[in-house]
Amino acid sequence: MRALHLATLWTHLASCALLMGAFSMVLLAGRPRAATARRWDEGVVRWAGWLVVVALGSGIVWLLARTAVFEDRPHAALEPSAVWHAVLDTWPGLVWLARHGLLVVLGVFLAIGADVAKRRNWLAARGEALLLASLALALVSASSHAAAISPGAAQAVAADVIHVLGTGVWLGGLLALALLLRATSGDAGIAGRPYAVRAARRFSRAALIAMLVLIASGVMNALAQVESFAALMGTAHGRLLLAKLAVLVPILALAVVNRTRILPAMPAPDAMRRLAVFVALEAALALILVGLAATMTLTTPARHAQPVWPLPFRLSLDVVLDVPQTRWQVMLGGQLVVVGVVALLVSLLIRRRRTPVRVGALALVVLGVGVGLEPLVVDAYPTSYRRPLVTYHAASIASGMAVYREHCAGCHGTTGAGGSLTDLRSSAIARRHAGEIFWLLSHGVAGMPRFDDRLGEAQRWDVINLIRALGAAETAKTLGWQVEPGRAWLVAPDFSVTVGPLAPTALRDHRGRRMVLLVLYSLPGSRARLNELARMYEVLWVTGVEVIAVPTHAPRDAIAELGASPPVLFPVVTDGAADIVTTYRMFAPGPHAELLIDRQGYIRAIWDDGTGAVLAQVEKLNAEKSPPPFPDDHVH
Amino acid sequence: MPVWQVVLVLNVVFAVGLGLGYAGWGRRVAALDRDVDAARAQVERLERERQACAAGARAGEQQWEGRGVVRAAYPQLLIITHEEIRGLLPARTTSFRAASPTLRETVRVGDPVRFALRGTVLDDAAVVAIARW
Repeated sequence: MRALHLATLWTHLASCALLMGAFSMVLLAGRPRAATARRWDEGVVRWAGWLVVVALGSGIVWLLARTAVFEDRPHAALEPSAVWHAVLDTWPGLVWLARHGLLVVLGVFLAIGADVAKRRNWLAARGEALLLASLALALVSASSHAAAISPGAAQAVAADVIHVLGTGVWLGGLLALALLLRATSGDAGIAGRPYAVRAARRFSRAALIAMLVLIASGVMNALAQVESFAALMGTAHGRLLLAKLAVLVPILALAVVNRTRILPAMPAPDAMRRLAVFVALEAALALILVGLAATMTLTTPARHAQPVWPLPFRLSLDVVLDVPQTRWQVMLGGQLVVVGVVALLVSLLIRRRRTPVRVGALALVVLGVGVGLEPLVVDAYPTSYRRPLVTYHAASIASGMAVYREHCAGCHGTTGAGGSLTDLRSSAIARRHAGEIFWLLSHGVAGMPRFDDRLGEAQRWDVINLIRALGAAETAKTLGWQVEPGRAWLVAPDFSVTVGPLAPTALRDHRGRRMVLLVLYSLPGSRARLNELARMYEVLWVTGVEVIAVPTHAPRDAIAELGASPPVLFPVVTDGAADIVTTYRMFAPGPHAELLIDRQGYIRAIWDDGTGAVLAQVEKLNAEKSPPPFPDDHVH
Repeated sequence: MPVWQVVLVLNVVFAVGLGLGYAGWGRRVAALDRDVDAARAQVERLERERQACAAGARAGEQQWEGRGVVRAAYPQLLIITHEEIRGLLPARTTSFRAASPTLRETVRVGDPVRFALRGTVLDDAAVVAIARW
C-alpha cells in the first residue's frame, strides 16, 4: 500500500508540476505565428488535457491509498464512508478537495477548445490555464510537512509554495521546450526556428531565476524541517534531501552546458537537436527529483526523527579546549585555508599565470583543511546525536542516582570523581554529547562493561541526566547568593509540584511567567525562615516570585506540620519531595537551602539562610532587559 | 463569447464565490462556534443554579463544586489551594468567605477537602459545605 501511495503521489505531483510549467513555457514563448509553433502550442494544450486526466486519476488513487494508510486497513480504501471521512473531516482531505476542484475546472476549460486566434483570447486562455494549474500545485503546500511546523507555519508554507511553483516553472518548462526544439530542429520546422530560439533564450533566463529561487526556498525548507547537520546525515528524510542534492549536481552541469555552449550556437539544427536531448535529459532527472520529494513527503520530517550518525567520526571544536596542544595545529590549518582562499580570489583578478596560482591556492586550501581538521576529528557512534528519551527532570536524576549507586559508584565513586577513572563531573565529560555517553554506557568502553543488557533505555538516560547534574553541581559551586545580571547558565532540573491530592504542576509551568524561590527546608531549624517567607509571600508574589517549599524529610502531612500561624500559603510539596531534595541537594547541600530560579528556568543564586535578601536579588532579575533563551528540556 | 470574457467571468465567479462563501458560510461557522460556547456556558450555569436551588438557595444563585487543600482557616474565611473550579476560577490559592463560622471546625490546615460554593458571582460566593476528601 505504501508503494502504491508513493507511486500515485509521485505521478500526481509530477503531472501537476508539468501542467503548470507547460503553460508558463507557452506564455514565456509568446503567441506563435509560424505553423510549426502553432502546432506545438496546440499540442501542449492537448498534452495538458491528458495531464489533467492523469493528475485527477492519480489524485483519486492517492486519496484511496492515503485513506487506507490513515485507517491502517487496506480495505478502508474501498469503503465510501472511510474515504468520505478522510476527505471531509481532515485538513489534508479538504485541501485535496479544493485542489481537485481546480483541476476539474482546468480540465473543462481545456476541453472547451476555445478559439484563440486573437491575441487577447490567446493570452486569456493560456493565462487562465496557468493560474488554475498554479493554484492546484501551490495548494499542495497547505497540507505538507511545512504546514505542520509550529510556530512559523506561515513562513514555512510560503517558502514551500515558492519551492513548488519554482519546480513547476522549471520542470514543466523543460519538457515543453524539448518538444518545441524537437519539432523545429527538422527541415519541416524550419519556419518555427526563430520562435524556438527566442523561447529557449527566454526560458533559459526564467529557469536561472527559478533555480535560484528553488535553491533559496529549498535552504529555507531544510532549515525548518531538518534543523541540524546530524539530522541531515542521520535520518531518512535528511538522506533523501542529500540524494536530491546529488541529483541536482548533474542537472546544474547540464544547465551550464546548455546555457554556455549550446544556446549560443542556436539556431543551427545540430545545436537544436542536442539542446532538445539535453533538455529532455534534464527533465528526466528533474522527475527523479520529484520522486525523491514525494518520498520525503511520506517520510517523518528529520526534526522529529532520531538521527543515527552514519560515520565513525565527527568534528569537535571542544578538542581545542580539552587538548590545548592541538590549538597551534588548528590555527595553522585555518591560516593556510585563509591564504588559499585569498590566493583563489587573486587568481580571479589576474590574467598571467592564473592556472599555477589557482592550483597553488587549491593546494593550500586542501593542505589547510587537512592540517586544521585532523586534530578536531573525534570518535562518533550511531547514537552520537540521539535525543534523550527522558527530560532533565528531578525524578529522572533521582532514579539515575539509585542506578548509579548500584552499578557505577563502585568504580566511579559516589561523587563521580572516580580516582584514576575519568572524573564524571569534569568539563570534558560535560562537553561530550549525551548520545555518545549513552553509546559508551550501553556498549561499554575500555575497562567498563556494557549495560544495555542490565539497564533499560530509560534507566541509562536517567544515569546520563545524573552525570549532567553532577557536572552542573560542580560548576554550581561558583554560584553565590548574589545574582550576577546577564549570567544565566545553570539549568534548573524540572520537577513536579504536588500539593496534597491535587493535580501536580511543574517548575516549567512558571517559565516566562514567574521566578521561583525553591526552599528546601527542615523542621524545626527552618521554622523562623519559613515564618518570615510566609509573612512576605504577598510582597514576593507582587514582585513576580512564586515560593515553592520542599520538606527535606518529605512527610506527606507537611502542610499540617507547618501549622496555621502564620498561614503558609505558598505551595508545599507533599509528594515527590524526595526526588527534588536528592537532585537539588547536589547544588545546595545542607538542612536549609534556597535557590532563586529566574523566569527562563536557570538557577541564578543559592543561599542557605535568609541573608540573601531575596527581594534585592529579585529586583536584579526584574531589571534584566534581555532574558536568555529557555533551556532545552533534554540534556545534550 | 470571446475567451477573454469567459476567463473574466470565470475569475469573477471564483472571487465572488470565495467572498460569498466566507461571508455566508465561514463567518456563520465562526458565529455558530461562539453561539455553541455561549450555550454550553449557559447550560452549565443553569445546571449550577438547579443544584443550588435543590439545596435551598435563593433564585439566581449558583453552586460550584471544588476540591483542594486547606491552607488556613478562620471563622469568616477559608484559604484553600484548589483545582480549577469550572465556571468560576482557575487552579490557584483563594480565600473564600465561610457561610458559617462552624465550618472551620470540621477541617484542619493541610486537610484535602471537597467544598461547595454558593453565590451569584465570585465576589459574593461563600463556602456552604466542606468535608474531608
